[in-house]
Amino acid sequence: MDILDRYLQAIGEYLPAASKDDTLAELRANLLALIEDREEQLGRRLNEDELIEIIRNHGRPIVVASRYRPQQSLIGPELFPFYLLALRRSLPLVILFYVCAQAVSLLFQDHGRVDIGAAIGAAVVHLPGTLFVFWGVMTAVFMGIEWACRHYGTSISQQWNPRDLPRVEKNQGKAPSLVGGIADLIVSAVMLLWLLAIPTRPFLILGPGVEYLKNQQIGFTPQWHTFYWQIIGLLTAQLVLKAVMVGIRRFGTWRKVLDLVVHALGLGILAVMVRAQIYFVPAQGFKPLPHEALAALNQAIYLGFRVVLLIATLKLIWDVVVFVRDTWVGLRATSRVVV
Amino acid sequence: MDIVLQSDPVQSELFDSLRLELRRGCLVLAVLAQLREEHYGYTLRKALADHGLAIEESTLYPLLRRLETQGLLTSEWREEEKRNKRFYRLSPLGERILDQLLAEWNGINDSLHRILRSHASSVESQPATVGHQE
Repeated sequence: MDILDRYLQAIGEYLPAASKDDTLAELRANLLALIEDREEQLGRRLNEDELIEIIRNHGRPIVVASRYRPQQSLIGPELFPFYLLALRRSLPLVILFYVCAQAVSLLFQDHGRVDIGAAIGAAVVHLPGTLFVFWGVMTAVFMGIEWACRHYGTSISQQWNPRDLPRVEKNQGKAPSLVGGIADLIVSAVMLLWLLAIPTRPFLILGPGVEYLKNQQIGFTPQWHTFYWQIIGLLTAQLVLKAVMVGIRRFGTWRKVLDLVVHALGLGILAVMVRAQIYFVPAQGFKPLPHEALAALNQAIYLGFRVVLLIATLKLIWDVVVFVRDTWVGLRATSRVVV
Repeated sequence: MDIVLQSDPVQSELFDSLRLELRRGCLVLAVLAQLREEHYGYTLRKALADHGLAIEESTLYPLLRRLETQGLLTSEWREEEKRNKRFYRLSPLGERILDQLLAEWNGINDSLHRILRSHASSVESQPATVGHQE
């Protein structure tokens, strides 16, 4: 019975030490009884192929052994939905913190010696590793909670109060898209990093055109330095709010308010551009363009920004009116139900 | 029915999954009921199979351990036919639990029969034209 011994030895490798001998002895007795029963039916001893067939049907050693183990999951079915929820809620925040940390690191480095393009590339490459570590830590935490719940016989799914459920929202419609929100967040983060890299790497905005611009008679106004940091500040605030919005998984009042604030910040960026008024000045070392031509160029850009700002302002005003109207109607409906 | 299941692997898989779920609870009941008499693993499996309830060895033997850990079974190593075997029997707690489980089982069975009967009678009482409305 060499094959039976090998089989039991293989099972034993996966069994807990405390019950291993007992379990293997029982398995041996049962398998031998099965073999003897089969031999009795056939009226002869089983050959090796028939023995192997019996053992194969009994199951793969690791699977057989796993059925003798008490706990099969690190995070049980009761806790698993909370685990998934926590991962989904915290993922955007982790990405946000990572982006902020990388941005701060870039800002405080000596740009003369640091290749910003390479730094951004490295940050993108290291993001999966950071997310993996975050996932590992979250899993370990929930494993600990699972162990504690089992050890102390508590259940977190029982500890809830229906009174804590949120009010029924009007115009609930489809839940906000998580993928869309995260994609928007990533695009915003990449755009912010891109803008941060531009001062030291102008080719990022114009590509080969930067050489062309050097030979032109106009250049950016020095006031861009001030506008630039105002825009960076507004974009950073937008990024933070977008990350918070990704965490809000339904179209509630708070999400609508945040949405309006994000749009208002966008309006702020346009307002900064309008306030600039002069965007291009004569370049040093060149014969200046006729004053009328440069003034017309700046005026055209200025008017363009003003029109966009006007449209965006009207849109925001309309959104605010709709929000106030819906909130008011909702409050009145709730008060009628309460009465 | 078999022809339909064989021709549709998804349906067959779904049926197998639901059947497994349905059998899981019944197996515990059957094992406890069968162990009113003493058995060791192999003879218990044979006895259940003889009654039409075949169970895989890899399912039955760990189940016996689990039921013993829960205090529903007692076991004893004893020599029989020149070989040591572990014999299982229903414990006093197991007997009480089995009685409660059987009462529950009978209740479920009766309810299911009532549901099926009421459904059958409502189908029979429907006018023949209903089936042709579409």
